[in-house]
Amino acid sequence: MNKFVKIAAATAIAMSGATAVMAQDEGLYIPNLSYRTGPFASTGIPLMNGQRDYVAMLNARDGGLNGVHLEFDECETGYSTEKGVECYEATKDQAIVTQPWSTGITLQVLPRTNVDEIPILAPGYGFSAMGDGSVFQWGFNMPSSYWDGASMILNEISGGDLSSLAGQKIAFLHLDHPYGKEPLPFLEAMAEANGFELLPIPVGLSEMQNQASQWLQIRRERPDYVVMWGWGAMNAGAISEAVKTGYPMDQFVGVWWSGHDADLAAVGADGTGYRSISWSAPQPDAPVMAAVREHVFEAGNSLASEEELNSVFYQRGLVISMILTEGIAAAQDHFGSATIDAAQLRWGLENVNITDERLAELGMSGMVAPFATSCSDHTGHSGGWMLRWDGDSFEVDSDHLSPDSETIRALEVSAAAEYAAANAPWPTASCE
Amino acid sequence: MEFLSKIFVDPFVDMVAYPDFFLQVLWEGLVSGILYSLIALGFVLIFRSSRIFNFAQGIMVVFAALTLVGLHEMGVPAWVSVALTLVVMFGLAFTIERVVLRPLVGQPDIILFMATIGITLFLIGFGELIFGGETKVMITEQLGIPTGRMRLDVFDGYISLEEKDLTAVAAAGTLVVGLLIFLNKTRMGRAIRALGDDHQAALSVGISLQTIWVLVWFVAGIIALVTGIAWGARANVSFALEIIAYKALPVLMLGGLESISGAIIGGLAIGLLEKLFELYWGQPLLGGNTETWFAYVLALIVLLFRPQGLFGEKIIERV
Repeated sequence: MNKFVKIAAATAIAMSGATAVMAQDEGLYIPNLSYRTGPFASTGIPLMNGQRDYVAMLNARDGGLNGVHLEFDECETGYSTEKGVECYEATKDQAIVTQPWSTGITLQVLPRTNVDEIPILAPGYGFSAMGDGSVFQWGFNMPSSYWDGASMILNEISGGDLSSLAGQKIAFLHLDHPYGKEPLPFLEAMAEANGFELLPIPVGLSEMQNQASQWLQIRRERPDYVVMWGWGAMNAGAISEAVKTGYPMDQFVGVWWSGHDADLAAVGADGTGYRSISWSAPQPDAPVMAAVREHVFEAGNSLASEEELNSVFYQRGLVISMILTEGIAAAQDHFGSATIDAAQLRWGLENVNITDERLAELGMSGMVAPFATSCSDHTGHSGGWMLRWDGDSFEVDSDHLSPDSETIRALEVSAAAEYAAANAPWPTASCE
Repeated sequence: MEFLSKIFVDPFVDMVAYPDFFLQVLWEGLVSGILYSLIALGFVLIFRSSRIFNFAQGIMVVFAALTLVGLHEMGVPAWVSVALTLVVMFGLAFTIERVVLRPLVGQPDIILFMATIGITLFLIGFGELIFGGETKVMITEQLGIPTGRMRLDVFDGYISLEEKDLTAVAAAGTLVVGLLIFLNKTRMGRAIRALGDDHQAALSVGISLQTIWVLVWFVAGIIALVTGIAWGARANVSFALEIIAYKALPVLMLGGLESISGAIIGGLAIGLLEKLFELYWGQPLLGGNTETWFAYVLALIVLLFRPQGLFGEKIIERV
């Protein structure tokens, strides 16, 4: 299929959300509030393609999940919070889940899902305190939250001993957006507890591609490390400026959304040594990749390009859909019915159990670390790996890393209680 | 007292104590400023000749850059891609004049403004349909633009200069000079200015509205291409480049919508002042990221005293 046809198909899919809702009358309707357009399209496209292709593979290979067809649908948000809320409203009537794909949209939709009783699935993004399932009964952000990511980065740069960071300065370069600000409470708590100086450096939307001021500040302040929470064009802008400033790449670490192959392609070898924490790892030889190639890509039903298939983001998209379908499968098994509703899926997502054995069965060994969710734990805290840019692609550069779950849990409970109090009356559950 | 010192003393002490850093801030401000000026020029040219505020200027930057890179990806040599992109931008100018502007002649300004929003939305969709939404790498080296860095040791410190920034400044400067010569010394240029001064009078002496509109939209397309190459060389080519166009709005408010020199001086002033304010006042006192609003506040202050901008024409429509 040529590129023009693929893009036309993608556009048609994105624009046909409402039609698809009307047309869908059987199967499980799982909409995705995607963004294939706008300033963040370049990072959204491979993720959405991965999600879509995994579901398409299950439908083509297995006829769906336990005999029921999966109706995967996209509603285009352009990463706009307003459009995201519109998409949520347009799809919620028949949806068994909502995948908001932006921390801003997640925060807007979060209170509504309590009323509408639809689970939010925000893998690796959204509000970190959603991990407290007793307060956020309908919110899920497994396998890792932003506080997990920040914790793993601090553990890695400190060699596992956070007290060794005392007296050091860590710049936190972040998009000036709810997403970019999300790890701040955790980082501030860690800075206070361990005696390092935290230097938050916000980057506005219109400054993403011209970060001269932010990197002049870094040149002036001479931080020991730069930790980045970037997205879209901000990533390439920051890495280009880091190269220009001569900042040591091995002291520059990003979150998992700042580890996109295409962002690094522009700087190429100059970016060698840049690292990104990641809860997923690309495995080009994984059996699931062979299945996707056979049943979707080679059948001409994928919107992805050949070079995209082995990228970090495309394969993370596969894992995200796997997490959702494992939740669906758990609910189907528990309730003894192939067709489930949103409330039953909520139970399923609370009982996801991804073990090494299960990953092997799925053909996804090494693509995500084992984790399990529960009534009280909606994050799973899988941990992850450090990926390192070698000038051409991202390679796994560490053993499995774990977040400081104990500290994070205390913060989750505290932030969740604060949120519930601020939004009273807020329904909570007992997870005894 | 300490607070006042942070505002009125410390920044200047810092500038004197670290002159190399101060020079680096000025250089970055100059580079940003000249690129802001370029975008603003595209707006001004079209406004001068047709009184249309061209909301599509930002997406024209993206479209021109994507066309250039897309053609090269198809195997077309770099400089041939530039030539073909200019052909595409001319085709776009011709189509816009024929399909959008001509039927709207005589309509209120707001209708024409809304039409440019329509052009923006069309180009976003059409661009994504043709080129996809993925980030593309600008063909900087293929165009012969140097990509190295220079480190100048000054005042016991250093200034870091990117060769592609130097090229962008030189190219933008050349383009601006070329535009000024074109507008002031050529028959077509004078026709554009005449149309901007008085439509009826210009038409009465035989100046073709249609020809001039195609011409100014094409020149705006050339400016968009140069802007796209310059910004794309710094931070890739993607639809995020469109956001850069918003930086031109305060430049226009400051410099005035009709003034070429206003766009240039306004762009340079905003580029320099927003960098100085961010580094010496914004980051130490306000937590940074003041560039998102500083230029607008500056422009608003200017508008309080000169509603037509620093270089705009004072138009009295009612007494």
